[in-house]
Amino acid sequence: MKISCLQENLAKGLSIVGRAVAPRSTLPVLSNILLETDRGRLKLSATNLEIGINCWVGAKVLEEGAVTVPARLLSDFVASLPSDQIDMDLNPRTQTLNLRCLRYEANIKGIDAQEFPPIPTSVDGGQMYLEPDTLHEMINQVTFAAATDESRPILTGVLVNSNGNRLTFVATDGFRISVRGSDLAQVNSQGQPNREMNVIIPARALIELGRISGDQTEPISVTITESRNQVIFQLSNITLVSQLIEGTFPPYQQIIPKNSETRTVVNTQELLKGVKIASLFARDAAHIVRLQIKPGSDLTPGSMVIRATAAEVGDNVSELDAMVEGKEVEIAFNAKYLLDVLGVISAERTVLQTVNPLKPGLFNPLGSDDFIYVIMPMQVTR
Amino acid sequence: MPIQVLPPDLAAKIAAGEVIERPASVVKELVENALDAGATTINVEIREGGQRLIRVADNGCGIPAAEAEIAFARHATSKLQSVDDLSRIRTLGFRGEALPSIAAVTHITFLTRSNTESAGIYLRLEAGELVSRESRGAPAGTIITAEHLFYNIPARRKFLRRPATEAGYIQEIVTRYTLAYPERRFRLEVDGRITFQAPGTGKMEDALIAVYGVDTARQMLLLPQAAAAEGDTPEQVELEVAGFVGPPSLHRANRKDLTFFVNHRWIQDRSLAFAVQEAYHTLLPVGRYPVGVITISIDPAAVDVNVHPSKNEVRFLAPHHVFSAVQRAVRRVVVEESGIPQITFSPASDPWHDTTAFGGHSRAANLRVSSAPSASQPAYTRLALDLHRPLDSPLSLPGAESAQSDLPLQFEPHEEAQKLPFLRVVGQVSKSYIIAEGPEGMYMIDQHAAHERILYEQFMAQRGHGPVASQALLEPVVVHIPPAQVEFAVESVEILAGLGFHLEPFGGDTFLLRTLPALIQHSQPVSLLLDVLQELEEERPTTVHQEREAALTRAVCKRAAVKAGQTLNVAEMSALIQHLESCAQPRTCPHGRPTMIHLSNGQLEREFGRR
Repeated sequence: MKISCLQENLAKGLSIVGRAVAPRSTLPVLSNILLETDRGRLKLSATNLEIGINCWVGAKVLEEGAVTVPARLLSDFVASLPSDQIDMDLNPRTQTLNLRCLRYEANIKGIDAQEFPPIPTSVDGGQMYLEPDTLHEMINQVTFAAATDESRPILTGVLVNSNGNRLTFVATDGFRISVRGSDLAQVNSQGQPNREMNVIIPARALIELGRISGDQTEPISVTITESRNQVIFQLSNITLVSQLIEGTFPPYQQIIPKNSETRTVVNTQELLKGVKIASLFARDAAHIVRLQIKPGSDLTPGSMVIRATAAEVGDNVSELDAMVEGKEVEIAFNAKYLLDVLGVISAERTVLQTVNPLKPGLFNPLGSDDFIYVIMPMQVTR
Repeated sequence: MPIQVLPPDLAAKIAAGEVIERPASVVKELVENALDAGATTINVEIREGGQRLIRVADNGCGIPAAEAEIAFARHATSKLQSVDDLSRIRTLGFRGEALPSIAAVTHITFLTRSNTESAGIYLRLEAGELVSRESRGAPAGTIITAEHLFYNIPARRKFLRRPATEAGYIQEIVTRYTLAYPERRFRLEVDGRITFQAPGTGKMEDALIAVYGVDTARQMLLLPQAAAAEGDTPEQVELEVAGFVGPPSLHRANRKDLTFFVNHRWIQDRSLAFAVQEAYHTLLPVGRYPVGVITISIDPAAVDVNVHPSKNEVRFLAPHHVFSAVQRAVRRVVVEESGIPQITFSPASDPWHDTTAFGGHSRAANLRVSSAPSASQPAYTRLALDLHRPLDSPLSLPGAESAQSDLPLQFEPHEEAQKLPFLRVVGQVSKSYIIAEGPEGMYMIDQHAAHERILYEQFMAQRGHGPVASQALLEPVVVHIPPAQVEFAVESVEILAGLGFHLEPFGGDTFLLRTLPALIQHSQPVSLLLDVLQELEEERPTTVHQEREAALTRAVCKRAAVKAGQTLNVAEMSALIQHLESCAQPRTCPHGRPTMIHLSNGQLEREFGRR
């Protein structure tokens, strides 16, 4: 293998695939990045067997070939090189990759490319096309609600459901649930209707997808492999492949409350700030933040009082103006769950719907039903 | 069969059965007599576990020749004159049953000389009948020899254990009285060998060494002088609690080494033992019992010793008052003194040649873990027993009689003893132990035990302010509880709710779990709950509400705490230690295992030969 490419292109490609590298794997080759010539370009690949990322970098290919080299060493070395052309030359006998950039030169010992697990790449036309901006927002608004530990694997994933016209992402960890929907175009950019889909994708894979799709402009194609155990996201010059989680997602529609006794509209940023302050005090009191909601009268606006008390630390009270319809209510939530959702609502105002202190609270941005977030309250008897 | 009055010898045998159960009972009665007679030296000799021969010789006041025979009559005693005396009883015996009971089942040889007479009297009795009586020269005091125990009751003889076992019971009796009377000299001879000897110096320390050995005795903690009646209610009686208890690191598999004396009388009382055990609450490992010698001095009128002929049970007029006084005294000294166990490297540092170092120790070959009260001072300065300190007055009842002001030791509560120094995380070993550095050297912290302690205290802190906060689940989780635990679960629904588990019976073995404790964001609520129930089923908890609640809390903390084998990053470890620092009792987990081991700079330097 003998190729040349630009330092900034290679560095960027390495940082993209580097996210899929398994740093401490029992399989040494998984700590490596695969470098492979592919139709006049350099293909970089990394995988931790759960997700895999391929990235194509423009390069001048003088001699075909492939090798894997330690990810960290290669990325760090390339990142510190000057912005110029890098020449790479592989010695196939010793599997040593020689890199040269101006007056810097290095030899990195690699592992045979044959040992690298194959990552599916070829996709002829996706089953669904998504706008990168929408996808980005959906990922942000949903993935945080997924469970982080592996004890219930289903909950570490995001349900991705599409009936061809509408796409829904759902994630829950058993205490709160986040649902984000979005309408799909009638026909996608390829002139094909979007197909139905109902899979559970690991939240981690979607988070990575969100990270690497930041500067994408083209629609992203989504394909479920025929064996129905992998999903492939095709971006321009990048593919991300993830295992799917098998199983049945909890029936989330039943959990979402259909009606409410109190509807409160508050300024999102003010509420975020109030909860942030309260969370400082709630840290030592099981993260309990109390929201006390009072409807206004003809002359005064309604109010929401945010309160946190830690027996040995102190307490804090903040008050916000609020438009309150319905009866007065006091309800307690975990501060973390509140901060999570308020950080991803971009609308100026947020609606909170509650029934009573024991029933779940429903958050959504004012004027849109695309995003729904339900939290179970905390119960504290005083 | 017509009703008839039993012949006297049969009645005597039946009555003797109550007092004399085994050779040890004979020894007990005779030693008590010797003590009541004011003897300063008591020699006990037994052969074949006491069945062949028991001889107790003392230098007490003796019995005048004229009264010698009467002593063997039933209900004859010099210790009691009227019924009123019974409530003021200070002697160990008073029933007048011991000698006749022993005489009924043995061959007795009795040689005594009252210190007011010049010649002694010699009696020989068989089955309670006098067979020989003559005047003989003898030292002042009494020598009683009881031979062929139960020769006339084969049924009893059959139930005796092996001689070695019976000798063990006898030794137990003698050692107990050594602890109650440190100023008397005791000697026990078994089949011609001296197996136990107490110097009778009057120092409790010496008695402890004689009974427990130097190593154990040196660790024992002196109970603070306290626990006089608090006077809040007039009916409460004056009482004093004194003695020694072991530090939490010293524990045994049974309650046998927990000894109580009420007015010098050895008694067995489960409630008292429980009170002491409770004082060690959460400081001792599960199923282990403390070591201690506790003497209670109380107005004889406030205690009834005439409960059982063997007199090892008493009834207190105000039992709760007594128990709480004992518990307070023990708790105070135990909590103050419970230190971080320190690693001590045994002096025989060549593990390859020192075979004893391996002898059954599950710990590292030549590491021994002992308890040192404080991290900041050399281990021996704080020990309660200063072995070489001369004592002016005999300490028969330490803390009760002699003033403790002359002791150079601190017994005032010092809060900082429990507090942890600021610790810096160095790393993690075997994914189970956190290594931290503090001003006093190295600390090894068991991450699971430490987290358990933290959760426990957080729970308890919340409990103090009412029910624990709970986080509701989006969907109630269906829990199938194994049939064996259903009843327990149903009974505990209320307690579980108080802890944050709202469990709803859903028919049969099915329950709905609606909430989790807010402190525990456990990912698998169901398995957590099932684990807790199963653990408690094995533990067989009592039905007492508080105890069951405490047991449940401990079990929940145990299950929810980080496990050994879990990799923690530095931030997590620091947070853990920070929380531990704010705990009231950071040294042990709620089950009593130590949370940390301390290796001081001095020890490190010594081990590296720098000092």
